[in-house]
Amino acid sequence: MSGSVSSNVKAEPNLTPILDMVFQLITFFMLVINFKSAEMDLSLKLPVVGSARPVDSKGQKELLVLNIDDVGTLKIYNRPVANIDGYIQQEAQASRLAARLTPEDIEAGEELPTTIVIRADRATPFKMLNRVIKACQDNGFRKFALKAINKEA
Amino acid sequence: MGRRRKKRSHSEVELNLAAMLDMAFQLLCFFILTFKPAPIEGQVSLRLPPPQVAVVVKGGQQAGSDETNKNPVTGVNTLTISVFADPKNGQIASLGVGETQVPGIVALDGKLKEVFADPGNPFDQVIIQVSDACRYDELMKIVEICTKQVLQDGKKLSKLSFVEVPSG
Repeated sequence: MSGSVSSNVKAEPNLTPILDMVFQLITFFMLVINFKSAEMDLSLKLPVVGSARPVDSKGQKELLVLNIDDVGTLKIYNRPVANIDGYIQQEAQASRLAARLTPEDIEAGEELPTTIVIRADRATPFKMLNRVIKACQDNGFRKFALKAINKEA
Repeated sequence: MGRRRKKRSHSEVELNLAAMLDMAFQLLCFFILTFKPAPIEGQVSLRLPPPQVAVVVKGGQQAGSDETNKNPVTGVNTLTISVFADPKNGQIASLGVGETQVPGIVALDGKLKEVFADPGNPFDQVIIQVSDACRYDELMKIVEICTKQVLQDGKKLSKLSFVEVPSG
């Protein structure tokens, strides 16, 4: 008797509040997710520059983020690049094609629209940094953004 | 009418939320696992042309033809800053603006303000000669001071070039 009574009583929890909460959490994470951070090497210690301005992406169509660690290794998406000149040349070609420029235009003084974003470790020797900057300049890049933090964390 | 209403109230449609909750939890797990807050970073925007000393030629005037010009830098619109670093630790050891030695970073700021405040100054770009051992953060101190300077046309100086100088 008692068994048949208990089989008729269903104990179903009300899942609506938990679903509401989970959807709120999902909304939060969807809003704050930033896939761009994948191209940043977060292990780098950027220099502290008081006048460093927050990134203004207005008018900057294309960005090429270059991470340079303290020994001068160029890293793209956390992978070291052995042939720096080859990589920059490849990116310059892509940028040139996107901007519909010819190699003659670049030689004549036209500049590529891509902004080179340099994220270098504060201990990187200038020799290593200049190697990358020079490779970019030789391939027609003129706009640079040197990343820094405003104050020590 | 009353009977009909009674019948409707008995037939409640219950959605099975368990499947939706499973999916929502999976999405939540994905977002939690991939969540990596981006650091708050700033940037110093620059135009970095290859280093070339530019000479202003006024109305077809030949360089050096003006005998009344006693200042050797008049007519040249590139200011040169020299940064020499200690090869052991990469810290700045000495600084210079043109031919003049500057005792430190604060003095460099003062000197540049003095140069750019002169209404007759012809400079619109700066070449920074840096020894190869100089650390990036030390260089950025110089870049920061340079980008604070205001040109004759009221714009901030953003045209810089770097030249590598072998240390030692």
